[in-house]
Amino acid sequence: MSSVRIHTPPVKLAKLLRTPGGLPVAEAVQRAGAGLASLKTECLGELKTVLEQAEACAARAGPDYDAALAGELYDIVAKPIGVPSVCGLTAVDTALISLSDLLDYLKGQERWDANAVTVHLRAFRLLLHTEGSADVAGTQAILAGLRKVSQRYAKPE
Amino acid sequence: MGLSPESRARFNLERTSVLVLDESPMGMSILVQILTGFGVKTLHRCEKVDEAKDVIGKVEVDLIVCDAMGAAGEGYDFVTWLRSSRIEPNCYAPVLLTSGHTPSHAVQKARDCGAHFIMAKPLTPIAVLERIIWIAREGRRFVECDTYIGPDRRFKNDGVPAGMTGRRRDDLQGDIGEAQTPNMDQEVIDGLMKTRRVEL
Repeated sequence: MSSVRIHTPPVKLAKLLRTPGGLPVAEAVQRAGAGLASLKTECLGELKTVLEQAEACAARAGPDYDAALAGELYDIVAKPIGVPSVCGLTAVDTALISLSDLLDYLKGQERWDANAVTVHLRAFRLLLHTEGSADVAGTQAILAGLRKVSQRYAKPE
Repeated sequence: MGLSPESRARFNLERTSVLVLDESPMGMSILVQILTGFGVKTLHRCEKVDEAKDVIGKVEVDLIVCDAMGAAGEGYDFVTWLRSSRIEPNCYAPVLLTSGHTPSHAVQKARDCGAHFIMAKPLTPIAVLERIIWIAREGRRFVECDTYIGPDRRFKNDGVPAGMTGRRRDDLQGDIGEAQTPNMDQEVIDGLMKTRRVEL
């Protein structure tokens, strides 16, 4: 039987947080939000580059499953998750998560579905370039459709 | 937890030394903006795991914010290394792990790496602050055994997981039996809750 040691180490962070001074929560959140807003232009530029890279990668795919290509595409689309929300494009984040789910399922089952990948990339382009968030109902319909597509592969057959 | 973004409660991160590990420049910028907005002045920015290991060996850090870093999950491996490094006090430092997408094969790795909390992206300032305050709580037990080193993953007092036998001395075993005495009357229960005037 292996030995287990359970102890309670001191947490210096707790003491530091209680140090007099500092900031009120409201002010800290407002300052952090302003800092994120300053990144908006840079984030949009980054997302356009990601879209181009993802489309170029998907265009190289053949009809059969290619593990290296699926892995490459997964890395391209999973890495920027979180960036679109900084630009107020939460729908793009949802689309990227759906595409990452899809690629993860396809990798797990060693399958390829070019149509499912293409429909996600088209939605990514549409939501990025047309500020899809302005049309709430339309955006929700797109995201629900993407979810259906990616969930088709959620369980192995 | 429900920390209100309008709260006037104060906290101080000015003297906190924070290590941020994220291979993506944009991900790093987002974390840096959030943390500097919270008043953090000492940030150790690392884009590679080796850089982070170097910092851990040289500087005392009070908080680590680390990204999972891709499908291979280098961030999880870094936390596992940190916990088993025995570099005190850094090996016990609170770790907030962020992840854009956790692939199915990495879920167990994420659970067992020894991070205090894993946050799914997108991150919002209020959610990050809530989690920093939560992981800073004193008194969280640390477990060290052959297969796991890190904060106690049982923090909800939900008891032994369903269908499992408890491994700890204080885990209660067996089923809850039938009641041995009649239930209390509602009036008696109400009486227990009733506010009473107290003379000092």
